[in-house]
Amino acid sequence: MDALLMQHLLNWLVLGSIYTLIALGFSLLFGVLNVIHFSHGDVAMVGPFIALAIVQAVTAMAMPLGASAALLVAILAAMAAIGLLGVLLDWLVIRRFRTSPAMMALVATVALGTVIREMIRTLYPQGSNPKPFPAIATGVIQIGDVVIPVFSLIVIGVSVAMVAALFALISHTPVGVRIRAVAEDLSIARLMAVRPDRIFAVTFFIASAVGAIGAVFFVSHAGVVRFDFGIQLGLIGFSAAVIGGLGSMNGAILGSLLIAGVDVLVQVLVPDGASYRLVFIFMLTILVLVFKPSGMLGKPVFEKV
Amino acid sequence: MSHPLLEVRGLSIRFGGLVAVAEVDLTLNHSEVVCIIGPNGAGKSTLFNLISGIYRPTHGSMKLEGKDITGWPAHRIAAAGIARTFQSSRLFNDLTLLDNVLIGMHTRTRSGVFDALLRPATARAELEAAAARAGELLHAVSPQLHARRHTLAGALPQADRRRLEIVRALASEPRVIMLDEPSSGMDDRDTDGLMADVRRVMAERPGLSFLIIEHDMRLVAALPDRVAVIDYGRKIADGDFSQVRLMPRVQEAYLGQKAAHHA
Amino acid sequence: MSQTGIHVEAPVERSGTSLDASIVVAVELGSAVLLGAFLLSEQTAIVVLLLAVMGAIFGLLQWRPAFEERIVAAFHDQQQLAIALGAVIVMVYPFFMQGSSYALHLLIVAQLYAVLALALNFQLGSANIPNFATGASYGIGAYTSALLAINFGVSFWLTLPVAAVVATIFGFLLGFPSMRTKDSYLALVTIAFGIVVHQLLNNFSWTGGANGLVGIPAPSLFGHSFTRPIEVLGFRLPSQANFYYLSAALVGLSIIAARRLHNSRVGLAWNALRADPLAARCQGIDIVWYKMLAFGVDAFLAAFAGTIYAFYVSYISPDNFTFLVSVTIMTMVIVGGMDNTLGVIIGAFLLTMLPEKLRIFSDYRLLFVGVVVILFLILRPQGLFPQRARNYGAHR
Repeated sequence: MDALLMQHLLNWLVLGSIYTLIALGFSLLFGVLNVIHFSHGDVAMVGPFIALAIVQAVTAMAMPLGASAALLVAILAAMAAIGLLGVLLDWLVIRRFRTSPAMMALVATVALGTVIREMIRTLYPQGSNPKPFPAIATGVIQIGDVVIPVFSLIVIGVSVAMVAALFALISHTPVGVRIRAVAEDLSIARLMAVRPDRIFAVTFFIASAVGAIGAVFFVSHAGVVRFDFGIQLGLIGFSAAVIGGLGSMNGAILGSLLIAGVDVLVQVLVPDGASYRLVFIFMLTILVLVFKPSGMLGKPVFEKV
Repeated sequence: MSHPLLEVRGLSIRFGGLVAVAEVDLTLNHSEVVCIIGPNGAGKSTLFNLISGIYRPTHGSMKLEGKDITGWPAHRIAAAGIARTFQSSRLFNDLTLLDNVLIGMHTRTRSGVFDALLRPATARAELEAAAARAGELLHAVSPQLHARRHTLAGALPQADRRRLEIVRALASEPRVIMLDEPSSGMDDRDTDGLMADVRRVMAERPGLSFLIIEHDMRLVAALPDRVAVIDYGRKIADGDFSQVRLMPRVQEAYLGQKAAHHA
Repeated sequence: MSQTGIHVEAPVERSGTSLDASIVVAVELGSAVLLGAFLLSEQTAIVVLLLAVMGAIFGLLQWRPAFEERIVAAFHDQQQLAIALGAVIVMVYPFFMQGSSYALHLLIVAQLYAVLALALNFQLGSANIPNFATGASYGIGAYTSALLAINFGVSFWLTLPVAAVVATIFGFLLGFPSMRTKDSYLALVTIAFGIVVHQLLNNFSWTGGANGLVGIPAPSLFGHSFTRPIEVLGFRLPSQANFYYLSAALVGLSIIAARRLHNSRVGLAWNALRADPLAARCQGIDIVWYKMLAFGVDAFLAAFAGTIYAFYVSYISPDNFTFLVSVTIMTMVIVGGMDNTLGVIIGAFLLTMLPEKLRIFSDYRLLFVGVVVILFLILRPQGLFPQRARNYGAHR
């Protein structure tokens, strides 16, 4: 296969994977809690910063861990931490808007995103400056004259694994059943002795942790991290989820692949494409929303009159 | 009058695989009161939603005074002269009673954005005149409501919410007014009050026709000229209530086949 | 009861007329003094003290709603006095600013944001349409007028209407998807539009790209250039005063527009749309048209503010008109009071001046704004000054 084409394909899959990890969070949170968590991207972006801090702490303490092992530990720890952060934010802020009009919850989570970003910027040493993020893997695999970066394989592989695990969790575990019950009908679920608070917490944990790894992949791919990367990543992830149909996990995947496809195509086909990628991505989002307001796989909501 | 006021032919709507209303024919004449009855979930409210333009029918036609209004959006149908209330009284809760009625007059007033901005005196005068009429309307139906016209609609008790919604519907000077289960949640006394209100409105507006969805058989027996029975989205009977209620098919619909046999 | 059955209050011999007048004068002069002290104070301690005073006054009004009602009634009765006195205060205000161009600068920025907040209020406050693209309309207005002035030498006064029209067209374009999308999806569409506009401004070379446009010529009126100080009766005002009066005039126009639209059939339709779109449709309200109208009016006003801003600072770049700017404007509306003209203006002034005055917190400005919004949404979602019910000539 043409080496260049392979490179583009890989790029598409890598970006698609990253966006999927974020979009899944949005869809999950909307499906189960009926909340549009606008700050999801910013919450996820705290992950790389925590990972960075841990790596630096480990290096400073000169522990007998190789660089890769240290990074791995840092990333895993960051995932757990962000999962907990998500739960904390729900408890502090988001749950107070469960019964509010959608608009208020929306503005509140937008503001929450700002707060998180600013806290990163002010609390992390020299937070305003971009920080280099270590590459997760630098090697390549060569098949014929096709060069495949190990990093791409890791991203795609881990993402597929996470998505599969998530699907398995939702479909085949008791917790998953409860999550689906709550997503489908909260009042009935309550009657069936499901504790919604617990399910909400679990959902936030999963969504945030998965988002964190998406953010880590994103910054590793980019090589740097900045406190406000969460805005863009969050918006793209949200757009992907919306295009696919909020609440639909398949939709999140579909939307992410679509957006990643546009992203790559624009960079390849349009002169000076890198500057215009956001324009095309968001124009696509607008177009889809105009013609299919509930997204491609979303179920149109019938208001009971 | 050659045309019936409202003529519905073969009206149908399906949601995905579910046929909610199928081939309904309905005729409403001037100054007529027709009650739509039928078991729960039969499609009565859906029929209302079709007629008022909230849903677009998949088949069939609707004519108002001979004019084809099939598929018209809700706001055009309201402007054409069909007003309605909702089963759950959809009032504008954070606005005053007077504002609610004023909004009901939207189709009878004209000032647009340029009038409001560039000819404020004229726009204001029109609004104040409308407010005066709205006040009169309120007072005619209920002096108590009129006294509270500057309070927020959200604070009203149930029976008053219904009344306000009816006043709002009347404010647009409609030809047809559709009431969706106006007596639901009311006790006998409130229902009597409601019937009296409706009768008074009928007397004051001779040309107005009513389409009422109802479950309360006292009301159904006393109020309408005719009754139409809907079951599973189809009209199964149409005529005088005393005759319709004896029809086996109608009894089946309400009571189930076996019970109907015994009835 | 009169013939029509409507209760009309017989004109009461109000010996309170002079009391009403005194109330109006006291409130207006008091506010002017408070604002002035706030603007001119340099020390954080004084600023905090003044904030405490404002907080206490607000608390008092909440604790005894009768006071607020009384003040509102007084203003209603003495409307002409209130307007006349208000105009006088605005006119002479710069003379009391001790020649501080910084104070004037703050006033200008606050006034421009007040206009933006009023513009957004039509959509957000009156019609509950979440528009995160007001910053983009602001920017389109600014860029249109700047480009016309720089490339074609068009005078400031002519660019105003042109910029407004261009931005309004954009507003309608933005409103177009609003036909079928609702709530959060609509918010996303407006955010997406805002980002697209920002990126395009960044990329196109004829808009100056990321560096923006420089050298926007200052306006002039009857030969008096706005870069020259104003000299009246031996007093000398810094050149900012020119823009102060210009933006104050725009605020005045915006207030008039806001009041006229609010107390009209249009305002009622918007409120109905906000409260229950389905019921609104059944009253004959074409919600598509009214949504588009809200977008158009918002863009129109925002463009005026953008034009003045461009000519004031004489340099604009895409980063002046980001999504975060839109969020800030939204905050002003939410904090100040949705669908309340005065509340929205106060929200704009507060959120413009506070971060400037609490200098030590300047790095935490955005953080502060975010936390404030969240707190308000949790504790007082209707804002500082919630919407008031309408009056139709009758006094209560």
